[in-house]
Amino acid sequence: MDIRPTLNKVFQQVFERPDLNISDAMTAQDVPEWDSLAHINLIVEIEEEFNLKFTVNDISGLKNVGEMIAMIERKIAARSA
Amino acid sequence: MNKEPALIMPHYVSVVHQVLLDEAPYLASVIAKQHKEFGDHWLQEFERDLEVFFKASEPALRVATQGYIKFALDGMLLQKRFDKAGCYEPKSYAEAAAEVYQNEEYMHSLYLPGIYLSHFLWRHHYIQHVYFMERFIPMVKRHPGRTFYDVGVGTGFYSREMLRHIDGLKGQGFDLSKSSLDYTRRMVDAFGLGDRYRTNLQDILANPPGPPAAFLTNVEVLEHLEDPVAFLKGLNAMLETGGLAMITAAITAPNADHIYLYRSVDEVVAQVEEAGFKVIESREDAAYTPTKPHESVPKNAVVIATK
Repeated sequence: MDIRPTLNKVFQQVFERPDLNISDAMTAQDVPEWDSLAHINLIVEIEEEFNLKFTVNDISGLKNVGEMIAMIERKIAARSA
Repeated sequence: MNKEPALIMPHYVSVVHQVLLDEAPYLASVIAKQHKEFGDHWLQEFERDLEVFFKASEPALRVATQGYIKFALDGMLLQKRFDKAGCYEPKSYAEAAAEVYQNEEYMHSLYLPGIYLSHFLWRHHYIQHVYFMERFIPMVKRHPGRTFYDVGVGTGFYSREMLRHIDGLKGQGFDLSKSSLDYTRRMVDAFGLGDRYRTNLQDILANPPGPPAAFLTNVEVLEHLEDPVAFLKGLNAMLETGGLAMITAAITAPNADHIYLYRSVDEVVAQVEEAGFKVIESREDAAYTPTKPHESVPKNAVVIATK
């Protein structure tokens, strides 16, 4: 399952930018509105969209969107196992 | 549109900034924001603190900043869950202690470095420090007493600040966490103040210390307790009549070890008074302005009291 389209929609909603398109290399430095409050809103919306619950170890150390995608995919796979 | 010129950061602050940029870029703007609100004095104070405490060890500072990132993220995630639930996650003191205070790895890798850096990087924590300097320290200086107790020392930051700003003052720190006491010993020793200070692994309710002290500090402990008033009565017994106390508490600020929910400084004041203190002044400060209505914000209550 490619989660990118769903994740892209979440990013567009959280940042209120329908033109936003995520890429694996994207970081907070690429999106001016992406501060700490926006980041945690993003995390919580991703939890709701994918029906997951993250711990601080899941979300710390995520350097870019690509790592975020990999983490979400791991959590989904673990849930399905 | 005119962009503000980039902040020129002194060396150790720039180390913190680089770690934030590399590992949590959404947190990196905090340094510029703090500087914008508090100015060059804040920046110089932060730089000096980092240089002295980390003894010019950049690797140690990087590791501490990584701990701060986890500490900040943990708090923010819990804040969002608090907004949905309207209460802190139900937990007994024993459960919180096992998860946090008695967990050496958690304390040293995340909790203590996080709290230490938050004294400079979190708006409401820095305001609390400024208030301590501008209101409490002058009162202490005018008072003839020269002994203090710090109960629930955390990182030892406020013990250190008492010793640093009051010549001849001697103090003792009390905590139930060996990790906190070890960190506190490092803190006071790093600033050359260790000879005027003793640490005690001691429950002040089960085993009250001997004579009362002229001054008392108790920073962000009440929200960790099942019965804050019983604890405050114990603190009251540790203060000399006519002495001065600074007592602070977290308000609507969830954390792994926060179990008692205060919703305003008035609730804290009421408990401090119930315990027998006479409140001199108090204040409440927020970490930030909420971006959405009905969004909770972590706050600090600070109370200065006498007996």
